[in-house]
Formats: sequence, C-alpha cells, structure tokens
Amino acid sequence: MVDDNDVDLRMLEAMLTENEAGPCFFRCATSLADAMESLTEQDFDVVVLDLNLPDSQGEQTLIELNKKFPLITIVVNTGAYEDEVGVISLRLGAQDFLNKGKYNSYTLNKSLLYAIERKRLELELKMAYDNLKDLQSQLVQAEKMRVVGVLASGIAHEVKNPLATILYGITYLSEKFDKNKEDIRIVFESMLEAINRANNIITDLLNFSGLTRLNKKMEDLKDVLEKAISLVRHELDKHHIKLIKIFDSNIPKIEIDSARIEQVMVNLLINAIFAMPDGGEVVVTSQIFILSTEDLKKMPELNQNIFYLGQTIIMIHVDDKGCGIPDNEIDKIFEPFFTTRRSRGGVGLGLAVSKNIMDIHGGQIFISNKKEGGVRATLVFSVNSNKGDEYGKKTNSYC
Amino acid sequence: MEKKRILIVDDEKSFTSILRINLESVGNYDVTVENDSNKAFSTALHLKPDLILLDVMMPQKEGPDVAMEIRNNKVLQETPIVFLTATVTTEEVKSQGGWIGGHPFIAKPSRLDVLLNSIEANFKADE
Repeated sequence: MVDDNDVDLRMLEAMLTENEAGPCFFRCATSLADAMESLTEQDFDVVVLDLNLPDSQGEQTLIELNKKFPLITIVVNTGAYEDEVGVISLRLGAQDFLNKGKYNSYTLNKSLLYAIERKRLELELKMAYDNLKDLQSQLVQAEKMRVVGVLASGIAHEVKNPLATILYGITYLSEKFDKNKEDIRIVFESMLEAINRANNIITDLLNFSGLTRLNKKMEDLKDVLEKAISLVRHELDKHHIKLIKIFDSNIPKIEIDSARIEQVMVNLLINAIFAMPDGGEVVVTSQIFILSTEDLKKMPELNQNIFYLGQTIIMIHVDDKGCGIPDNEIDKIFEPFFTTRRSRGGVGLGLAVSKNIMDIHGGQIFISNKKEGGVRATLVFSVNSNKGDEYGKKTNSYC
Repeated sequence: MEKKRILIVDDEKSFTSILRINLESVGNYDVTVENDSNKAFSTALHLKPDLILLDVMMPQKEGPDVAMEIRNNKVLQETPIVFLTATVTTEEVKSQGGWIGGHPFIAKPSRLDVLLNSIEANFKADE
C-alpha cells in the first residue's frame, strides 16, 4: 500500500483486515522510491497506489511504477473527486481505481481480487499474442526461404546448363590453339576462371537456400583450417598479410561437412584479408573448453538456446586489424546480398551462406568489433551433438 | 580396338553438340545424341550403347523416368547410366522413389576430365 498519508494507510489496513477473505500480508510504503524498493525485495500480488506522493505526482507515478514492474497488479487509490484520474489510470496500466472514501472493506477486497485476476488474464493474453507474432514472423521467413529456394533451383538449372556448354567449348577450343602463346593462354585461363566464379556463385545461392545435402563425417578441424588457409595463400601474399596460427592440439575430430566448413573458413579469411588490403596480420586461433558462467558473461553473443553451462565447445577465431565494422552496418552483415565490396565483384552471399552452414551444423557464427580495433569472427561448434538434419534444411523451417 | 558407344540424352542442343565433339575428340568414343527424351528409350534400344549420359531435368520425359524404362527392359537393363544434373539438389530425383540412388551423378558444369573419369569408371567390366 503506497500512500504518504498515514491516516489513509491505517484505514486501508483496517478495512483489509476486517474482511476474512482479505490479504494476509501487507507492507506500507510512503514514497515511490520506498515502494519500488519493497517490490524489488519481495513479490506482491497487488499494489494499492496513491498517485500523489512526495517524490512523484499524478500520472507519472503510475507510469514509472508500471514501467519498472510491468508484471504486478496495480489498483490506484485516488483522492476524492478524482474520477478522471482514475479512468486515465486504467489506460496507463492500472487494473482498477478506487476513490478514497467511497469504498468499504467489502468493495475494497472485491476490487483487489478482481484486479489480480484481470492482470493475470491480461498477461496471458499478451503472451499468447507475442507467441502468435513470433510464429507469424517465422512463417513469413519460411515462406521467403521457400520462394528463394524455388528461384534458386530454377536459376541454377538455367545458368548451369549454358555454363557447362561454354566450359566444354573452351576445353575443346583450347586444344586447337597454340598454348605457347602467352596471350592465348591468358585468354583461355581467364575464361575458365570466369566460369568457375559464375558456377560458385550459383552454388552459393543454392547452398544459401538450404537445398543441398550435407555430407557429414568425422573430421579434424585443424586439417580443414589448414586447407582453407592454403586456398587463400595467394591472396595473403598478394596483400602482404602475415597469418599467425594458434591451434589447440587437444581438439578431437567432430562430425562436419568438411567442404562446407572449409567454405566458411575461406569466407572469414577473405573478409579478414580484404579488411587490410595494404597489409597486416591475421590471427587464427582454435580452442576447446568447457563453458563456465564467466565465459557466458564474457560472450553475450553466444546463443544460449544452443550452448549451455558445462558444455564442451570448440571455438575458432579469425582476427584482423582492419578498421572494423561501422555500428550501423554490424546488424546487416549476415543479410544476403549485403556487401561492402560490390565494386570489387562481391555478391554479398558469403556470410549469409556461412551462417546457414553453421546453423545446420548446430553451431554458431558471430562477428564483433574488437576493443583494440579490427574485427573478430568466431565459429562455435559443440563437441557432442551436432543438431541439424541430413538434408541441410534449417530444422525450424517448413518441410 | 572397337570404339565404345555413348548415348547422350539431354534437351539442350548446344550442350549436347559440344559435348559430343569433346568426347569424340579426346576419347575413343562413338557418340550419339538424343535431344527428345520421349524418343530416348527407343533410340537406346536401337543403339544398345555401352553407357548412357542422362540429363535429369528435361521438359518432356524426365531423366529418372527414362532411366526406369531402360532398367525395366531386358535388353538394356545392364546398361550403365550416369546422370548429369545442373541442380546439385537430389530432391527432385529422390521423389521418384529413391531407387535411382544406385546411379552416379555428375554435376553440370564439371570439368571434362572429371566427366571422362566417371565415364571410364562406369563402363561395364569387359567379360
């Protein structure tokens, strides 16, 4: 019961005790701050609130209390002739309002009981509504993915056929020309490279739409890392980038699709390289450890629906010393077709595909700016169970 | 040595023209092309090829259906079939009942040497 008027408080107390069906425990508070402190310390079923307190007046009292404690039932206890205030209170989150002097023990108790019940129903309704909204957005997302899938497979077919034709055409013609001539050799190699690129982008699109089948086997992450590094060796050297490896030797084999994970690692390495086009250092680390409460605190990005306390996890970090990701972009980086390298031929599917691949492996990828500058990209794998079904579809999307 | 006979069944004319030229030029093969998948079975019956390269998605009869016809025929049932597919997904094919899982796939586009290796590996062993 919150009121700075002692007499009012005593009256309330008396009325509540009088009725046998009334509350069995009450606390008094004489200011908003006092009330908030009591509410923090203990659970209460209902708060009887006078709006005019020494440290807060009128509507503001209710607004603040409701904001800090949205789950508790509030009944406003207004002064005489303040019905307007009462009605407004209902809109601001109170379940009922009482007009001082116009109720007795019976009506007071009734009001409190009703208020508690109404609040309970309101919260249930809100929860049901929130669930529905969630479900709706999941459905919309699944439908989008389905449409992407249909488009992707159509495009894949229409584009890969001509690519195959061109590839075989080039293969044939290249035998008919004098390959000792530098120019001719370059022309054919460039064409082959272009076909490869086009083919890769289509494959990326197919992978992203989740249509391709996973091929999981027990693999050594270190081997996959080394292979990924070797694939980008040319780019590392070209941009004068030093690569430092800090690998934990205790990491066991885990069940992964090595081609896909390799693809993710290449993606992260390429992003790190392009963050430092004039040179720098990339540090690749691998660790295995058991998740402690401190770890969970240090890494708020870790998805606690997948990873839990006490679980053994493997983390791979790719750190660069580039200029980092601007705050207004960091939420978008996993979106398909988001790229800062469009002028250099980037399509923007790399991270979207990587996220998809980590999702279907039951793992996680997250990226953040480091305090000391640059970006850290992290892959997380669980050691025991790798969730995600065989066909590589996200387990919560449509079937 | 007698040339091995290969039948290519694929609706894309430019693809089959180029593939035929490639296979005949680099390998010791005699290549026949059939672009109409409705006629594929009768062409195969007439030719009795040593291997069939079969596209999966075709506008008339689809690859898996052609393969089924071939498998069901006493004369042709032992003929090795290699599927060519532009879609990496096997979903469309799996929906045919799954028996096609026995046949190897080559993705389009694949390098010629990859295709050649698969062809050579799938010819029936000489008796």
